[in-house]
Amino acid sequence: MVTITKQIADGVKISYIKTDKFKTNYISINFISPLSSDLVHYNSMLPLVLMRGTAKYPTQMDINKRLQFLYSGDIVARNSNFGEYHIFGFKANMLNDRFADDISITEETVDLLCDMAFNPYLVNGSFDESYTECEKISLIDTIEAEINEKGKYAIKRLMSEMCKNEVFGISKLGEIKDVKAITAKSLYKAYQKALKEYPIEIYFVGDGDFDVIADKFEKALKGIERAPIEIPSATLVSEVDKIRQIEDVENVKQGKLVLGFRTGYKPEENKYHLMQLFNEIYGGAPTAKLFLNVREKMSLCYYCRSIISQRTGIMLVSSGIEAKNKEIAEKAILEQLEMIKNGDITEEEMDSAKKSIRNGYMQIYDSAEAMESWVFFRSLCGISTTPMLECEKIEKTTKQEIQELTSKIKLDTVYFLRGKEKANG
Amino acid sequence: MANYNVKENQMLNEKHYSFKHKSGLEVFVFPKEMTTSYAIFATRYGAIDNKFKLSTDKDYTVVPDGIAHFLEHKLFECEGGIDAFELFAKTGASANAYTSNTMTGYLFSCTENFYESLEILLDFVTHPYFTEKTVAKEQGIIAQEIKMYEDHPGARLHKELMKALYKKNKVRIDVAGTVESIGEITAEILYKCYNTFYNLNNMTLSICGNVDVSCVEAVCDKVLTTAPEFNVLRDSEDEDEPKAVNQKRVYCELNVSKPIFAIGIKDIDIPADPNERMKKAYALEILDEILFSQSSTFYNELYEENLISQDLSSGCEVTKYFSFNVISSESSDPEAVYSRFVENIENSKKNGIDKEAFELSKRTVYASNIKSFDSTEDIANNFIFNHFDEGDLLDAPKIIESIDIKYLTDLLNEGFKEEYYAMSVVNPIGEKI
Repeated sequence: MVTITKQIADGVKISYIKTDKFKTNYISINFISPLSSDLVHYNSMLPLVLMRGTAKYPTQMDINKRLQFLYSGDIVARNSNFGEYHIFGFKANMLNDRFADDISITEETVDLLCDMAFNPYLVNGSFDESYTECEKISLIDTIEAEINEKGKYAIKRLMSEMCKNEVFGISKLGEIKDVKAITAKSLYKAYQKALKEYPIEIYFVGDGDFDVIADKFEKALKGIERAPIEIPSATLVSEVDKIRQIEDVENVKQGKLVLGFRTGYKPEENKYHLMQLFNEIYGGAPTAKLFLNVREKMSLCYYCRSIISQRTGIMLVSSGIEAKNKEIAEKAILEQLEMIKNGDITEEEMDSAKKSIRNGYMQIYDSAEAMESWVFFRSLCGISTTPMLECEKIEKTTKQEIQELTSKIKLDTVYFLRGKEKANG
Repeated sequence: MANYNVKENQMLNEKHYSFKHKSGLEVFVFPKEMTTSYAIFATRYGAIDNKFKLSTDKDYTVVPDGIAHFLEHKLFECEGGIDAFELFAKTGASANAYTSNTMTGYLFSCTENFYESLEILLDFVTHPYFTEKTVAKEQGIIAQEIKMYEDHPGARLHKELMKALYKKNKVRIDVAGTVESIGEITAEILYKCYNTFYNLNNMTLSICGNVDVSCVEAVCDKVLTTAPEFNVLRDSEDEDEPKAVNQKRVYCELNVSKPIFAIGIKDIDIPADPNERMKKAYALEILDEILFSQSSTFYNELYEENLISQDLSSGCEVTKYFSFNVISSESSDPEAVYSRFVENIENSKKNGIDKEAFELSKRTVYASNIKSFDSTEDIANNFIFNHFDEGDLLDAPKIIESIDIKYLTDLLNEGFKEEYYAMSVVNPIGEKI
């Protein structure tokens, strides 16, 4: 995974991961903002409004017809939180030029992306009122619809409770009341702030003329005044005073249990591979302790899995269970963690977990988007490495290292989404 | 060594080797220079196969709903209490399985030790081991899976829509069954279904990756024994399925923020020729792109008016067993969307299909098909889906190419009529709206 990086404006970088194994090319434009409740609703609205019209293609229909012309061009909004960062912008997936005889798909898609990000449709020097109002409704609907997916909703609730005093608890979509207050003018101001202040990272994965593409972005950025900010690193909480129990009651058939843990992990120590290895043994695979015990042995659930955030080290264990089994499940989940803390990891478990991680890492080379995420999110942590190098590190990991790491893991918050009595009957 | 057939598509720069193994199994291998190799071992047996007999049996056997899916779970447990996942853990492969209306597939992806993993795959699927105790344990797990889907709006929407569209067709049967129906499953019934449908003559192995076909054959030689002739009659109650929908509207209530709807378009005019079925499927995709995509007037008007505030997704399925087309989204007023949907189609019939929209939409469908050849997993899965319907994935580009505006116009005029439409709506609980 060779990456070439070029600076094309103050705080704007474009990186190229060259590969000719795909029939498609991938490009992303990413604005990097601090995750903050004052900004998050604006930032999550921006890609939506920018996708409504550009100076050249003023309506959504014009843009979509253009994308059809560009051979099923596909541009979607990016909106993700990563620790203290909020990343928003666009991801585009396009067919390789060799399948078209009439145009250069990649270059023309880049033109459209540049217009979308840097040359939007404006009315009297601001965003269009009706586009803004329409997208506000759409975003509010999306926020309200989070309840529709109960598993994800439970995780979101856990995070907002557990990280009340940290930025990690902030929803990447923003809050409804804040979205309601947005106007075309205030949004345009937020856009100008983004253009001026936020670091911008552009990625191109695939096969094409990198210089031509970098040039196009450079030209598009000309005339934009830049004064990029430094985003301060967040302090990670590692201590827990008191375990909190939170419960919501909703009209659902299946209860959703989520446990949130502090792990004492520090991204700058560059030990994420250890966390992943531990996670694999604990609850990340169908041979993990949680799957084998809580599901297979105790027959309590269909899924019981753990995930660990690469930026914050926060670990979540989630499961869908009968409400009456909540205490049993919670106890079983914690027991399995205790076992690892006590060094109860077999050679087989270590070996399986290593192979499984290796398999996952090597598969990254087969997806343009996965390669981009690998490089991009690690670069935000100040780390430059490849899946292959990480595999070597994984290989050398010992049981003791895993055990040592788990000694710092502490349960912080338990969240339960409980069904109403009637719905459970 | 068997003779390998080769089929190639030069435009795509993709090809597959195939052979019929002496055991009875058909094997297809797409060589591809990727890090990830993928294999799926599948049987033509899904949720619709609840009534069947061997040609020598006098009576049909009727089995509880959800059994194909139950079998899929249970096959992972091998004799001696070993789980197939544990075996794959030793090779580093990532394994899984899925069941649909018409098929069950067992799969893995890996970046090393491919042939060892293939051996495990072929071995565990051909060696069932069920006891009353292991069946009882699985009932608890699958009951939770069913409950998870009962809370899932998209799953409920689809399940209810099938009941609205069809009166008899077995696509009505929910893949996982119900908590009650899976309660009736015993080890004996599982063996009966297994022995009937997990016959290598009824199965296909589809592989894509950095794989050599002769090495695949060697693994087959090592693991597989010759299967008896496959002589199964499946009862189909579909013959007298009426043209019109079963119920115009179906509703259910769930804890959702806003009504979610799916409009289904029933089609019982299923071409007998597999290539014609593929042609129809891609033509419907083009038509959906013209009528309902983000480039359509229909979508843009509804969006501007806030009648829909999210994407409008469309999709069709054309197989020899059933054929339907669905568009779905959320709306505070699904009935208003429905009226506009009808109006939109009638206008398109009256005015004819716009030539420019046709060309752009065809280009889109053509290009998205090519895009699907970037993943070994997608290739092997899409291949088996087409193959079980007797088509070949590598023929897709030229089939799409052959679709013209006349074909599409006929499809619009004959396939889009009010009596074929039904709508499924998931409403918020109570009167929240």
